Amino acid sequence: MIGQRDIRARLPHRFPMLLVDRVVDVVPGERLVALKAVTCNEPWYEPLGADTPEEDFAYPASLLVESWCQSAGVLATWDDPNPDVLDGQVMLFGGMTGVEFHRPVLPGEVLEHRVRLDRKVDDTLLFEGETRSAGETVMTVGRIVMAFRPAAALRPATA
Amino acid sequence: MPAASPLRAAVEVLPAESELSAAARFTVADTETVLPGHYPGFPIFPGVCLVECARQGAEATLPPQAKGATLAAVESTRFTGPVFPGDQVDIAMAWKRTPAGDWQMRAQLSTGRGPAAGVRLRYAAPAGDAPAAGGEEAA
Repeated sequence: MIGQRDIRARLPHRFPMLLVDRVVDVVPGERLVALKAVTCNEPWYEPLGADTPEEDFAYPASLLVESWCQSAGVLATWDDPNPDVLDGQVMLFGGMTGVEFHRPVLPGEVLEHRVRLDRKVDDTLLFEGETRSAGETVMTVGRIVMAFRPAAALRPATA
Repeated sequence: MPAASPLRAAVEVLPAESELSAAARFTVADTETVLPGHYPGFPIFPGVCLVECARQGAEATLPPQAKGATLAAVESTRFTGPVFPGDQVDIAMAWKRTPAGDWQMRAQLSTGRGPAAGVRLRYAAPAGDAPAAGGEEAA
């Protein structure tokens, strides 16, 4: 089991945007399985009340994708971690295709993100996989593209 | 009260040009919830939050025939430029119905520096609202 110490040594994300709790299986350069527990104490739930319809408590699809991508990021940086976004090679989310949502996820669920490295071309990595919860597939990921670039690529261009 | 969302501020929908094209905008305030953790000391508006802007824009401008449709897929997204606190994100949206009866929304998101992302979302038609293609269904 790989916990927060190793995850925080690899990802620059922090509260409230560090969305990987634990890594339960990894084959470096190949695949990884990570867990993310969804809790009503995440800040996105703060404005909701007793009069909020149950479906509005669904975990935001965008964050489901983010959590999966961070799991891919742990795999991508397994052998060469750089948790500093201001220096060295940083990981950028280039895009995605074919991400399908099969049912809503609610607080209390433990998501199991399954990430597979499909291809690596120079500094660009392509991942695919799915997310399961309670034995059901809740999201399939056709492809996400992650690129490693010099940190300066993130700075606003100065005219 | 809106559904759970990583966005603290609201996506502002602009007056519609037609039923199938729409525009919205979102200003990234430095008080956005996600920024302290993305990243500490170097806030960048996350790419998935641009997808969330497109989703909220989509759900506020669903064509009348698509009422009740739910998000089925992010068909594609391409991130082309970073977005920072203080940026205004302009969202241009176009809707069309797919041959299968779903609804597809293409959004172009941009800031004052140029394109930020292209997002294509698919909404599943509500049950019982499939197009009359097969015609073999019993009444």
